[in-house]
Amino acid sequence: MGYVAVKGGTKAIEASIERLKYERLKGEEVLEIKTILATMRSLVDQVMSEASLYAPFLAALAIKQAGGSMEEAVFLMRAHRSTLPRHYYSLPVDTESMFVERRVSASFKDIPGGQLLGATNDYTHRLLDFELIEENTDANHQWLRDYEAKLAANMAQEQEIQYFPKVVDYLRAEGLFDYYPEDNDPPKDVTKESIQFPTTRSERLQVLTRGQTGAVTALGYASLRGYGQVHPTIGEVRVGNVPIHVQHPYENNNDEENAFYIGEIKITEVESFVPVHVKKDNKEELEFEIGYGISYGQNETKAIAMSILDQCLENPHGEFPTHDEEFVLLHIDSVEATGFISHLKLPHYVTFQSKLDSIRQVKKGAETGEN
Amino acid sequence: MNRKRRTEILIQNGGNLAKELAEVIKKKYEYQPISEPEYGLTMIKMRESAKKSLFYIGEVMVTEAKVEINQSIGIGIVIGMEDELAQHLAIIDAAYRANLPETVEWEPVLETTAKQLEEQRAREQRVIFETKVDFETMEV
Repeated sequence: MGYVAVKGGTKAIEASIERLKYERLKGEEVLEIKTILATMRSLVDQVMSEASLYAPFLAALAIKQAGGSMEEAVFLMRAHRSTLPRHYYSLPVDTESMFVERRVSASFKDIPGGQLLGATNDYTHRLLDFELIEENTDANHQWLRDYEAKLAANMAQEQEIQYFPKVVDYLRAEGLFDYYPEDNDPPKDVTKESIQFPTTRSERLQVLTRGQTGAVTALGYASLRGYGQVHPTIGEVRVGNVPIHVQHPYENNNDEENAFYIGEIKITEVESFVPVHVKKDNKEELEFEIGYGISYGQNETKAIAMSILDQCLENPHGEFPTHDEEFVLLHIDSVEATGFISHLKLPHYVTFQSKLDSIRQVKKGAETGEN
Repeated sequence: MNRKRRTEILIQNGGNLAKELAEVIKKKYEYQPISEPEYGLTMIKMRESAKKSLFYIGEVMVTEAKVEINQSIGIGIVIGMEDELAQHLAIIDAAYRANLPETVEWEPVLETTAKQLEEQRAREQRVIFETKVDFETMEV
């Protein structure tokens, strides 16, 4: 039997796209972009992080257009990103300049500057709040007014804005962690050049931070459960806004004070402390290394998992897949993974016919042989 | 006032002050748009704290505009879709590059706004400090 080549389906595809719109509209409710921005903070953050594009308004639009599908929203953002020119690279962002809104440590209770819980689900009861069904704007306004009045009454004395030093810097000062001088080697950019193995540290961090939240979390978890050799203690998780600056494109004055401030972005940053055994003077000693994790927006689970995987990939180990950079880095990208999996449902008639032909030939040969 | 501090004040202020200052220039001087506000990307370079190396966390969407005043080109760049603010920032930048006398008069206004912004930030932080943990060591 010959191969079956087919064409057509244009009308069906058009009708299918109309059907998709119908499914989005049939409930006759309109979800405003501003509503998504105001109430779906974590979802917007996750889409921006996995799309590797910080643009809250566009992320909210993508969520609306995708009907809440994360993979579709991330795909839309990546596609849109490819239509925009890149005119600038920022000056290096140092997170010590972060306006911190949350900062906790699992390693020390007394960290310089203190632990700030900020806004977190960590201490909430995971019980459905049925009162939200009847939520209304008047009651919300009243709650906000009461909250602000309570804060104003209890407000501490005026003080200057505090910027928080890193917990790890105190440990470095004590000689408990290795000190590294600033490494100003230009980073590689995986969006410009495909990664080659072995990778550089900059490539690993870029791929990990734009990885799919679920995939990064799953592999970090696998490492903890024994499919890896990293079990850290969190030195510091910090969430807050960092300022972004760019140099003037053609002025010769490269003084940082002459740069443009262009605004702020919110990020989550994690430093994990990982115990490692090292040999010094023929004696085995215990030392600590740092796993580094970072994510756009507030996404602490992903940033912590990334810090585990960073440390895994810094120490390759043939026995564990989570220490294998090819295994980790090539399987955590949302668009690549969902794109490859979902393409399987598209027509493969020729490929499959070819496989069927092979099986038929084998079976025919077997039957002829038996006779 | 240097560009870094000036642009920080104007952007954190939200756009009202930039509009006010740009209007002054628009009324008195001829200005030529070199490029209308357009959207583009800035790649963000980070310094990680484990080994102090550099890497790219991702891109951020920005609006950029360019204008010319007295043969000096000014640039306005701001995160987000902020057409009007980008244009006003470009006019103000061009005014500074052209050393227009108005820029000297702006200094006290910018300083006052900076002080207000700092007070506002400090208030925001004091509110966050309400969630600061006060540990007590328990006797076992």
